[in-house]
Amino acid sequence: MPDPRRFYRLLLRLYPARFREEFESPLEGQFADDYRDTAGRAARAAFWLHALRDLAVSIPRELLHELVQDLRYAARTYRRRALAAALALASLSLAIGATTGVFSVVNALLLRALPFREPDRLVQLANFDRFAIEVSQRSKFYGWRGQARYWQDAAAYHSSQMNLMRGGQAVRVNVTQTSASFFTALGTEMQTGRGFAADEDVPGADVVAVIGYGAWQQLFGGDPRILGATIRVSGSPLTVVGVAPPGFDYPGKTAIWAPTYFDRDRLRTSNAHQSVGAFGRLAPGTNLPRAAAMYQAELQRQDPRAFRKDPAYRPRLISLQEQLAGSARQASLVLLAMGAFVLLIACAGVAQLLLSRITERAPELAIRAALGASRARLVQQLITESVALTLAAAAAGMVVAHWACRLAATVQPSSLLSTQRYTVLDWRVLVFAGALAVLSGLVFGVLPAVLIGRTLRTHAGASSGAVRMRGALLALQTALAVVLVAGALSMGGAFLKLAGTDLGLRTRNVATLTVSLDGTREEPDAQARQYYQQALDRLRAVPGVESAGAADYLPLVSTATYGYALVLDSGEKAGGVPMVVSTGYFAATGTSLVAGRDFTEADGAGSPHVAIVNEEYARATRAGGGIVGHKISSPFAPPDDKPFTIVGVVRNTRFSPASEVESQFYFPVAQTVPSFATFVVRVRGNPEGMLPALRDALRQVDTQVPVYEVMTLDGRLRERLARPRFYTTAILFFSGFATLLAITGAYGAASYSIARRTHELGVRLAVGATAQGLRGMLLRQCTLPVAAGMLAGVAAAGALGRFLQHLVSSVQATNLAICAAAALALAIAVAAAVWNATGRILRMDPATVLRAE
Amino acid sequence: MSQRSEDRVSAFLPLPLPVFHMLLALSEGERHGYFLKREILRRTGGKLNLGSGALYGSIGRMLEQGLIEESGDRPDPHLDDQRRRYYRITALGRRVAQAEAVRLQKLVRLAEGSLGIPELA
Repeated sequence: MPDPRRFYRLLLRLYPARFREEFESPLEGQFADDYRDTAGRAARAAFWLHALRDLAVSIPRELLHELVQDLRYAARTYRRRALAAALALASLSLAIGATTGVFSVVNALLLRALPFREPDRLVQLANFDRFAIEVSQRSKFYGWRGQARYWQDAAAYHSSQMNLMRGGQAVRVNVTQTSASFFTALGTEMQTGRGFAADEDVPGADVVAVIGYGAWQQLFGGDPRILGATIRVSGSPLTVVGVAPPGFDYPGKTAIWAPTYFDRDRLRTSNAHQSVGAFGRLAPGTNLPRAAAMYQAELQRQDPRAFRKDPAYRPRLISLQEQLAGSARQASLVLLAMGAFVLLIACAGVAQLLLSRITERAPELAIRAALGASRARLVQQLITESVALTLAAAAAGMVVAHWACRLAATVQPSSLLSTQRYTVLDWRVLVFAGALAVLSGLVFGVLPAVLIGRTLRTHAGASSGAVRMRGALLALQTALAVVLVAGALSMGGAFLKLAGTDLGLRTRNVATLTVSLDGTREEPDAQARQYYQQALDRLRAVPGVESAGAADYLPLVSTATYGYALVLDSGEKAGGVPMVVSTGYFAATGTSLVAGRDFTEADGAGSPHVAIVNEEYARATRAGGGIVGHKISSPFAPPDDKPFTIVGVVRNTRFSPASEVESQFYFPVAQTVPSFATFVVRVRGNPEGMLPALRDALRQVDTQVPVYEVMTLDGRLRERLARPRFYTTAILFFSGFATLLAITGAYGAASYSIARRTHELGVRLAVGATAQGLRGMLLRQCTLPVAAGMLAGVAAAGALGRFLQHLVSSVQATNLAICAAAALALAIAVAAAVWNATGRILRMDPATVLRAE
Repeated sequence: MSQRSEDRVSAFLPLPLPVFHMLLALSEGERHGYFLKREILRRTGGKLNLGSGALYGSIGRMLEQGLIEESGDRPDPHLDDQRRRYYRITALGRRVAQAEAVRLQKLVRLAEGSLGIPELA
């Protein structure tokens, strides 16, 4: 049996430091005496029982007692240095809060389980559209699913907006056309009714549908008679067989699911917002890497060319969670790293604060050490101080985090709104914040505590160690601040460039409204042509309207998703984006005509086919200004198709600030009738107030046609810029904050150094050194760690810069010039702070200083 | 005695039983912790068996409160274990113990008046 006294001594270690220091040896002595006096097995057992019960009661009591004492002491010391403590608290709460806020987003997107059965076995086929062609037929798709051994089940879907008829009026809803396996693969049980039967996706079968819980409540008042009822989507009748559970709207806020994936012409989908995808449930016994390898091998066999393409567009398997997080995933991780940087800087600041406390108290500590105060006791006090500060900061930081979550939800909404809600009220987030606080408190409380050992050993004060450690902390702060400032400069530059991009449109004073004729009585070409004409007439008649036009794919509304090449009669050809526009469109968007003419009412159905191209197409086909009058045609057009005569050239426009200038071809609405369009209305004055009148005017043309996405063009531009603006603001905030902390850190280091060396400085002044000379000396000494930090910071900024591209795609990798600029700006700020702090030397009177000693 | 010091003393009352016992034992002279433990056990007829942790927890708090203080004097080292610490009662400690005794006395009188207490055998 091990020595019982040894065992008891181990248990005594659980007592807090001060208690142990006072009473450890008498406790040991008593135990030894009592143990000696106890004989016999039963008596020994009773003795142990008594001793253990005593420890079990007394250890927690003493821990609590000393904790309260240490906390009181900490509160007193912090009150004495209220300003420094307030700064530390504020910086820590902001840093912990911002980091926790970003973590809440990461948690919602990447950590919280998806609302599906065994969600970690669900895998998305990224860049499916390429592979989709291979398996577009039902038999091929199920053949592939059956033969690929890594699938237990797989499903494909195609989402778009459609018109749902409700009592003579149409509403726009998201409809997902799926394979019949959709709900079974996800493992989703219906709220009421049933999902799709295996053969319900056979083309030509009667079409059934599942309706979302939200749509059922809002559009049908939760009427249970919905089961078996017929609804009309895009003009086609669907029989509702089930209602999805509340909160289930995958993918992308779907309101209605129909098993028509393999029957594409069944429901008309002609608008811009379309997405095609597929996912599968991994077979038992396989995992994602293995399945991914098998899928790659399969694709390689089928289509080796697919792998010579840009890796970003390569078909591959990723986890469904990763796919749903999308671009927000990378962005959030980068922001999380930035937050961690700021937290590190703030923690370094707290360490500085604790260090100066140690130095201040060095004589006292040395005396206490000589009197036998243990190091453990002082360390315990320091760690309590720092952890108390970080925990208080974490509590205050939750407010910041909550606010950050709400901000993130508006600019970077998650794909599954109901279940991926960003919130700080989640156990993982709370644990994260708590752990962050405790960890930073421990790390930065232990650092200065290490010095105590040296103080106590040398009895000489912590000066040299503290100076070195302060230098290191300052260097760390500077390095991280340089990284953040360099990042902010690149991001800010990129954002300004993005916001200042010439779109080729005048977005001010323009209202936009979208309509879709799918499934309405206006759908046939002749009616549609007439509808657009009447709609434009009505809009132009609204008081305050200057001009109005319409286009199928309006810049800032849709992204240019497809394009093709058109051949000029000179034989040159260039790929570009086609658009169908009405008369008055260019006037309404403010896109100026460079040569030729605009479309007119005369460019009707029966008249010769005409087109307008943009400058880029004229440049690409080397036709230049003389392109007007030339003819263009599609290389795939049947030979009897008449070519289009180019009647005009307009300025280049961009579909979004981030997109490149591309060749564009415009065709008149009357000759290529689209089934949906966005009206562009230029008005006098503020367009916001005119939106209701414009909407009413459009509704009056035909109440069956839904009018949606009614907003100003400026509003659409703002929406496009919201994310980059948010990220840029975030990093600007982080870097500004980091700079402030680095500057206060340098200022603190300088004033500390002066306070510590008052005597030495006094002597130097007395023997003839000038005050300016001494200031210079101090400046050089303080800037040494700053300079070292800058070098490290510039190196790190260069290496980390490319991650910023996840935030704003147009960001250039941080270059040396930007890093140098950041370092220089920071150096100047730090030098100014130090110079300011050393101003005290000027007022120093050597006689007074020396007498005081 | 001034009102303030009166208040200071009465703030300690009622005293926890082990504390009262320790003060009583210490009023007879300087003692070390182990002696106090044994003495309390003896005086209470084995009923109050303080664990060492509880004992030194109380001692620690009494030191902080100024009821007792550590004594620098040591008896002859031959008789003594070096690890032992000796404590003595302070003036405040004495006043507090007295005040507790008065409080108990009043309580006992009150009980006598209303219940009548049988003579101890």
